Amino acid sequence: MEALVATAIGLLTASGVYLALRPRSFEVILGMSLMSYAVNLFLFATGRLAPGLPPIISSTATGYTDPLPQALVLTAIVISFGMTAVLVMLAVGAYLQSGSDAVDPEDRQE
Amino acid sequence: MRAGRGASAWAAGLTTAAALAGVMTMAPAVLRGEVLAQRLDWLPLLGLSFSLRLDGLGLLFAGLILGIGLLVIIYARFYLSARDPMGRFFTFLLLFQGSMLGIVLSDNILLLAVFWELTSLSSFLLIGFWSHLPAGRQGARMALAVTGAGGLALLGGFLLLGRIAGSFELSVILTKAAEVQASPLYLPCLILILLGAFTKSAQFPFQFWLPQAMAAPTPVSAYLHSATMVKAGIFLMARLWPVLAGTPEWFAIVTTTGLITMLLGAWVALFKDDLKAMLAYSTVSHLGLITLLLGLGTKAALLAAVFHILNHASFKAALFLSAGIVDHEAGTRKIPRLGGLARLMPLTFVVATLAALAMAGLPPLNGFLSKEMLLEEAAQTTFAGSEWVLAVLVTLGAAVSAGYSFRLIGAVFLGPVRQDYPSKPHDPGLGMSGPVLLLVALVLAIGLAPMLVAGGLMQAAVQASAGGPVEVYIKLWHGLQTPALWMSVAAIGGGLLCVGALPRLQAIDRTLSLPEAKVIFDRTIAALTQAARAVTRITSDTALSRAVLLILATFAVLAAVAFATGTHTAGTRPSTRLELAPAVLWLGVALPTIAVTLMYRDRLLALILMGGVGLMISVGFAYLAAPDLALTQISVEVVTVLLLLLALNILPKTAPPEPAARRWRDAGLAGVAGLGMAALAYALLTRNAAFDPISAFHLAQSKPGAGGNNAVNTIIVDFRAFDTYGEIIVLGIAALVIAAVGYPLRRSIKPIAPASADAHPVIFGVAARLLLPIAMMVGVYLFLRGHNLPGGGFVAGLVFAIAMMLQYLAEGEERTFARQRVPYLALMGAGVVIATATGMAAWAFGKPYLTSWFGYVTLPPLDKFELATASLFDLGVFLCVLGSVLAMLHALSRITKRVG
Amino acid sequence: MTPAVVAPILLPALLAAMMLLFARQNLAVQRVMSLAGTSGLIVLAIYLSGLGEPQAYHLGNWPAPFGIVLVADRLSALMLLLVAGLAAVVALHVVATGLDRQGASFHPLFQFQLMGLNGAFLTGDAFTLFVFFEVLLIASYGLAVHGGGAERLRAGVRYVATNLVGSALFLIGLGVIYGVTGTLNLADLAVKVASLPPSDHALIRVAAVMLLVVFALKAALVPLHFWLPGTYANTSPAVAALFAVMTKVGAYALLRFGTLIFPPGTAATQSLWPDILLPAALITLIVGSLGILGSQSLGRLTAFAAIASMGTLLIALSGFTPQATTAGLYYLIHSTLAIAALFLIADLIDARGGDEQPGGATLPQSGLLACVFFAVAIAVAGMPPLSGFLGKLLILQARWDQATLVWPAILITSLVAVIGLARTGSLLFWKTPGEAASSPNPLTFAAPVLLLAALLAMTVFAGPLTDALARTADALHDPATYIAAQQVQP
Repeated sequence: MEALVATAIGLLTASGVYLALRPRSFEVILGMSLMSYAVNLFLFATGRLAPGLPPIISSTATGYTDPLPQALVLTAIVISFGMTAVLVMLAVGAYLQSGSDAVDPEDRQE
Repeated sequence: MRAGRGASAWAAGLTTAAALAGVMTMAPAVLRGEVLAQRLDWLPLLGLSFSLRLDGLGLLFAGLILGIGLLVIIYARFYLSARDPMGRFFTFLLLFQGSMLGIVLSDNILLLAVFWELTSLSSFLLIGFWSHLPAGRQGARMALAVTGAGGLALLGGFLLLGRIAGSFELSVILTKAAEVQASPLYLPCLILILLGAFTKSAQFPFQFWLPQAMAAPTPVSAYLHSATMVKAGIFLMARLWPVLAGTPEWFAIVTTTGLITMLLGAWVALFKDDLKAMLAYSTVSHLGLITLLLGLGTKAALLAAVFHILNHASFKAALFLSAGIVDHEAGTRKIPRLGGLARLMPLTFVVATLAALAMAGLPPLNGFLSKEMLLEEAAQTTFAGSEWVLAVLVTLGAAVSAGYSFRLIGAVFLGPVRQDYPSKPHDPGLGMSGPVLLLVALVLAIGLAPMLVAGGLMQAAVQASAGGPVEVYIKLWHGLQTPALWMSVAAIGGGLLCVGALPRLQAIDRTLSLPEAKVIFDRTIAALTQAARAVTRITSDTALSRAVLLILATFAVLAAVAFATGTHTAGTRPSTRLELAPAVLWLGVALPTIAVTLMYRDRLLALILMGGVGLMISVGFAYLAAPDLALTQISVEVVTVLLLLLALNILPKTAPPEPAARRWRDAGLAGVAGLGMAALAYALLTRNAAFDPISAFHLAQSKPGAGGNNAVNTIIVDFRAFDTYGEIIVLGIAALVIAAVGYPLRRSIKPIAPASADAHPVIFGVAARLLLPIAMMVGVYLFLRGHNLPGGGFVAGLVFAIAMMLQYLAEGEERTFARQRVPYLALMGAGVVIATATGMAAWAFGKPYLTSWFGYVTLPPLDKFELATASLFDLGVFLCVLGSVLAMLHALSRITKRVG
Repeated sequence: MTPAVVAPILLPALLAAMMLLFARQNLAVQRVMSLAGTSGLIVLAIYLSGLGEPQAYHLGNWPAPFGIVLVADRLSALMLLLVAGLAAVVALHVVATGLDRQGASFHPLFQFQLMGLNGAFLTGDAFTLFVFFEVLLIASYGLAVHGGGAERLRAGVRYVATNLVGSALFLIGLGVIYGVTGTLNLADLAVKVASLPPSDHALIRVAAVMLLVVFALKAALVPLHFWLPGTYANTSPAVAALFAVMTKVGAYALLRFGTLIFPPGTAATQSLWPDILLPAALITLIVGSLGILGSQSLGRLTAFAAIASMGTLLIALSGFTPQATTAGLYYLIHSTLAIAALFLIADLIDARGGDEQPGGATLPQSGLLACVFFAVAIAVAGMPPLSGFLGKLLILQARWDQATLVWPAILITSLVAVIGLARTGSLLFWKTPGEAASSPNPLTFAAPVLLLAALLAMTVFAGPLTDALARTADALHDPATYIAAQQVQP
């Protein structure tokens, strides 16, 4: 299963990077979101895979997965969300003020 | 206004006079041979201290700087017109004077470098004083560039010198001649220091800035270009003479440079039609002469050099001031327009002629004496393998010098009186003529009685410079046997010849067409500026894609190199079995991801696909034993998709096509990035950590230490609560930014008619309205159980917010938000305050910030339940998340309301 | 354990939250709170500087490395003082020129920015460093687009997106570090990385490179500097003056990680960092200096001056010896103050109606403005008598080991910078003859003059200052004290 997770991370990264390199703001936002999925998965994966062993302390549990990466990912998800929201607002604002949703100064949509 | 002019001149003059008086009081001791020193620590770590020394050489130069400075101040008071800002002029002048004094009085070479650059800066201000003239601005900048470059080279040389000698104190360095000259760093050190000296003193090939600096007012030129600034390089060579001189390298470089400069400067001066330009080039030539003498390396030559420093300063200053008088009174500096002024300005004629004859080297003036000593030394030196080459060349130089001196006298003063002077020439008042008279008196006095007037000073100066005893004996008549006498006669004769044959010589000059250094310099600067502009353009408005590309590419290259140069062993962790469910999930993630990549141009579709990916990932988290993560991921996912939908309402719904080349290039990089990440992830997934992870503690202490069964939650609100604190603040700031950007945008949008007639279907609204209280209950439930089971403040806040967002979608902005009077940003602020205050409560118990407490409480009729301060913290989190998300929603909804 | 360690983070946060709760529309109250807050931070920073030994603060009363620890050592205290001082001056300037009226929420954002900066300097945990990086970044997004406008917003989009990539890299790097060593605490990492088995060396090297790229991105090292000119030139100059300290966060992180976790003697990473940093710093210096010469507007010139100064700084810091670090720290303080001063002067020139484009509209003559500009230009160019010159001297001496590369680079680029600044100054102030301008509001000059005074003080008191910095540098290169400070059980 490790290979599954690893390839999923790779696919998400590739897609995210590809979209983030596009010249319009909406694709950049999508790409950043995909990249953040990839990064979150990656961070989670550093706790290694232990399916079926949630980190809830109980007397019947045989083991626990590493809770720390999960906590880190939680924080990362919320922070990325905040950043994404700001990015969206700026993109919308730039579009409304200038009539173009191009990200770069030269790539102006006529 | 007049009071202001006078006042500043008085202030400047008195300051200089006081300084001069101060130096004079110390003079007797110095003339006796003592060296006065003073030292103040400045930056011991660097070896830089504020050390001053006054010896004979310093005394000579200080006297020149202050004495001529005082005369220039008096002269300037009357020379500058009413429109020139006097206060500024004298400030700059005093700044410059101070810096020059600093150079000659420094006992620490780094300190000397500081003052050296200060003179560059203050002369920049002085040369550009008439800033309305383009020549003034350009001259100032050229001077700054050239002398600045030299100053930096000098700095390098000094750092090397200090390193070789082991100290930056001059008193130490001057004793280390042997070590310095034997060191392998001697040549680079020498070249760098000489670069500094040659640029400052306008030696070949750096002479071109000096004539450009003629755009300054005449008193400035007199001061800078005759007495002080250009002498700084000479001073430096004289000061470091004991340490650096005497080697074949020194002789070769310095003597040759001096010789070329002397000849070149004289030749160009001969043909100049502007008085100041002629004087400027003659200064260059005379400085070359002094450089030549310093290069010869003998004590006698050193004496001649020091003596000529004094003499040249006196007659050149006098000549510059006289040129200023002619300019001021006759209205022009152009030689072809002058002539016949002898009768109209007799006083000026006399003093100028005396000074010019001193420049030509005629007895019984001081110029003759030093010229004689020069010729004597030249006659005795072997240069370029021959005994007489130097003598001939020097005589030639002297001849041309005499030539332009005679031309000056003849063309300006002799001849018939003209009818077409721009203004009426007459002798000036005492204010302007006084300083010139004083200087010329000095010229005569030294010439007639050299040992009496200047002997003591020369003795002290030369000994200070040479670092050892020197016999000083200057006299007017050496007898007929000396070759110097005949060379002098030849020179004077040659000079007369020059004047006579001027037109023919001019023809030769035109055919020679030497490359104009100014043009080369300007072209170099222009090329450099062009290159700089290109670099700047590329670096400035870069496309985002290029920036991101560079970041990723840089990382990829560096990571590959770092990995390859390190040792790696594959991990040995047993891999988990592959089941069907995760394989399906994988498909559920991979397929939409690939689809998004291919079909992103339809933005709505892309958004939905992305939401699907997020959903699958959330399920994946649940499968992989991360229930909190799954909850959070899905709720954040929903909010994000909703926000993006709102944005898509405004942004264009499709993306335009792009060139294939670009897409392939980006796909390539994306592929590399993906592969790298996958490999990295796989490497980590298949290995165990090298040490026990710290989370073992968290798992062990989750219930006993933090009072909760949900280890992830206890980490978030207890063990690592500070991270959470930062995280909610990030969210809060995001809301703040969005509100700050969003609200002003409302005013710039025109409302558009809605696309659909029924924007808000009733059934949708009713359903949302029913859903709201249910959702709120779910939220509260999730909040309360978070400490022991998946849930917590975040998820609760998000659930609440989602419920409200659904209502907004269903019912529109007015219905949803009009009922609420709650200011969302204040709600967010309250959440932050609660979280902060909860942490601070621990201080009351003497514990560090955010120390949690939990206990069990029994309240009849309820069963025993647990109270934990972490829950209060979670409450702060909840409020902050709720307030932030609602604030974002509100801000965005206001815009979409207007637009659609 | 003194709560003064956590106070620099809590104070601005509380102030901002209170502003949002009670004074959202009341600019006067916000101004007072802001100025009072920055003064309080200065006091705290001075107190922390006087403590000497590194002070650890175990948040939540959990022992290191299991909980989050804040550590106030000399370097942290120095950075706190620098930020607090600069913030106070910028706040003064903003109030005097009325910048905070131009958009909403300036002061809360400003306070949150300070919180992020202080948190980054005080934390002893790698993930907390990430969190506070995000805090200071997102606050800077708000400040950067303060005042609105199409170009500003668009530049903001690029700035945000670039930093998102950086944040992603940071997280991945942290993931690798945790995955390999199992800890996030800096002191614990130092111990563990030093004793890492060879089988993990390659992975930790990759993580080290990742962190290097992230910090170098913050520090605007070439080729990761592309975000800076666009962002700095498009935002209001007073905000850019505050941003002058943000690049220093990158330098701080490089210094902290490079002396504590990846020092040159470590088996796993050896000289990986210095080998990459020195060439990058040299190129950055060259690009920045060329930019000073090639810029067509004062705002852009200052942005490139910032880049050039980061290059010089990293030339010093990449030496990783106590002498080089001392020189670097001195130059760090100098360049922050000098670049900020240049931005503030650019703001005044802008406001005076002198078009930022030299050769554009005429600039009414103001002697004071020209004088201050001249002094600031000297400071930025690194000419005597101000501290830039001393800083460069210290760096030249400290990097004798690489003199053939470093000395020509620093000396020649200084010349290029001087030529560029002289050209701009001449075009701005000399090209047009002046009529006397209306007398300027003296308060608007207060901020740049204060900064100049600080630079002058740095010059005059260079001896005592460098002695103090040398003690800081020595402590940095002896990580045992830092590590030991955290073993104290709470």
